[in-house]
Amino acid sequence: MEPLLVVLQGLPLTLIVSIGSFIVGAILAVPLSLGLRTSILPLRLICRLVVDLLRGVPMIVWLFVLKFGISSPEFRLTSLEAALLGLGTISAGYLAEIYRAGLQTVPRGQYEASQALGISRPIAFFRIIAPQAVRIVSPTIATYFIGLLKNSSIASTIIVAEMVFQAQAYARQNLSISGVLPYVFAGLLYIALSVPIAMASRSLDERLRKSVI
Amino acid sequence: MDTQRNESEDFMLELGAITKSFGKNTILHQVSLRVRKGEVCSIIGPSGAGKSTLLRCINLLEQPDSGNMSLNGNFYDVSFPLRQDELLSLRRTCGMVFQSFNLFPHMTVLQNVVFPQRHVLRRNESEAREVALKLLDRVGLKNKASSHPTQLSGGQQQRVAIARALALEPKLMLFDEPTSALDPELAHEVLDVMRELADSGMTMVVVTHEMNFARTVGDHLVVMADGHKIEEGIPEAIMDHPQQSRTRQFLSAVNH
Repeated sequence: MEPLLVVLQGLPLTLIVSIGSFIVGAILAVPLSLGLRTSILPLRLICRLVVDLLRGVPMIVWLFVLKFGISSPEFRLTSLEAALLGLGTISAGYLAEIYRAGLQTVPRGQYEASQALGISRPIAFFRIIAPQAVRIVSPTIATYFIGLLKNSSIASTIIVAEMVFQAQAYARQNLSISGVLPYVFAGLLYIALSVPIAMASRSLDERLRKSVI
Repeated sequence: MDTQRNESEDFMLELGAITKSFGKNTILHQVSLRVRKGEVCSIIGPSGAGKSTLLRCINLLEQPDSGNMSLNGNFYDVSFPLRQDELLSLRRTCGMVFQSFNLFPHMTVLQNVVFPQRHVLRRNESEAREVALKLLDRVGLKNKASSHPTQLSGGQQQRVAIARALALEPKLMLFDEPTSALDPELAHEVLDVMRELADSGMTMVVVTHEMNFARTVGDHLVVMADGHKIEEGIPEAIMDHPQQSRTRQFLSAVNH
C-alpha cells in the first residue's frame, strides 16, 4: 500500500492547482470574453490576440517561462505560484472563448426585453444574460475542468509536489516492478476524481436544460 | 393658441417625422403619429410596412435617423441618441410586449415580474411580490407564480409578459404583434387581457394582424405600407370604406 499512500500525499496539491487555476481562469475570462465582443475595435483585437496566444502556447512551455524565466533577485515565483498563474491564464483563454460562445447563444430578445424594461446594462448583463449563457455552456466548462484536473500533472515538471510528482519520486527510488504501481494508482485517482464531476455536470445540465431551453 | 395647448396636453404620444433606414433601405419615411391619453391605437399593414420598426422607435430599441417625439409631456429630439438617464426615463414611461414574449427563462414567473421592479423602481422585495401577485392574478396566472416560463403555454407566457410590463406602471403600453406567435385559441386569452387593459384606460399602441381587435377595441387605426402612413382614422370607417387602394388591397387580402 505504500505507493498509494505516497501518491495520496500529492492529492491536496493536485486539487489546489486544478481548482485554484480554474478559479483564476474563470475570473480573468470574464473581462476577456467581454473584450472579445466589444464594438471597440482595438480592444477587441488585443483581447483576441491575448486569447489566441494563451490557447496557442503549450502549457509546459508557459510554466517553464513563468518559473525559470522570471528570476530577478527581488521577484521570483514559487513553483505553486507559477503553476496557478500559468494554468490560470491559459484557462482564462479557453474559458473566455467558451463564455463568448455562450453569450452568443442568448437570444437578442433577452437584451431587448431588458432594455425595454429600463434595466441598466450592467444589471442586465450579470443577472439576465450571463446566467443564461453559463447554463448553456456549463457542460463545456465541466469538460474543460476535467481536462485541467489532468493537465495539473504538468505542474510536476516545475516541481510542484502533486500526485504525478510523488509517483515519479517513488518510482525513481523503487526501480523494481513496483515502480509502475504509483503511476497506476495516480491514474486511478484521476479517474476517481473526474468521473463524479462528469456525472454531476450531466445531471446539472439536464436540470438546467429543463428550465432554460 | 389656447386650444392648441390644451389639445397637446390630451396626447400621450406625438411622433414627428420619424425617419429610419437600415443601410440603403429606408424603412420609415417621415412618419408622424398622435395618440391621445387612454386611446388604443392599432397599426396594421402588410409585412415589411415598417409597423414594428415604428413601434420600436418609440422606446428607442431602434434609433431613428431623424425626427422628434413627445411622450407624456416630455419632448425628445430623437435625431441623436439620448443621454443614458433620458433614455432610461423614456423607457420607464413605456411598457413593451414582444411577439416572442421574451420572458427570462432562468427565473420563475413570479421572479420575472418581481426582478424589474426591484431594479428599475427599487421596490423592496415584499412590495414587489405583492404587486406581482396582484398583476398575475389580474392576468389569471397567480397559480403559475412558481412555474418556469418554459412550463407555460405561449398564451400564458404572453400574459406574464404583460404583467411584467405593467408592474413598472407604464403610461403607455406598446404591443409588437403580441398574438402572432400564438394559435388562435391562445391568442384569444391574450386579447382578452388586452381588452381589459384598454377598458381600464391604458394608452396602447398595438401592431397587430387581429382585425377584429383593431375594430372592436381600437379607437384609432393607422394603416402603413412601404414605410409610409397611408391612412388613419376611426377603425370602422377605414375598414368599411378605405380611401386608399393600397388599404383596400391589404384589407381584402386579410379578410380572405
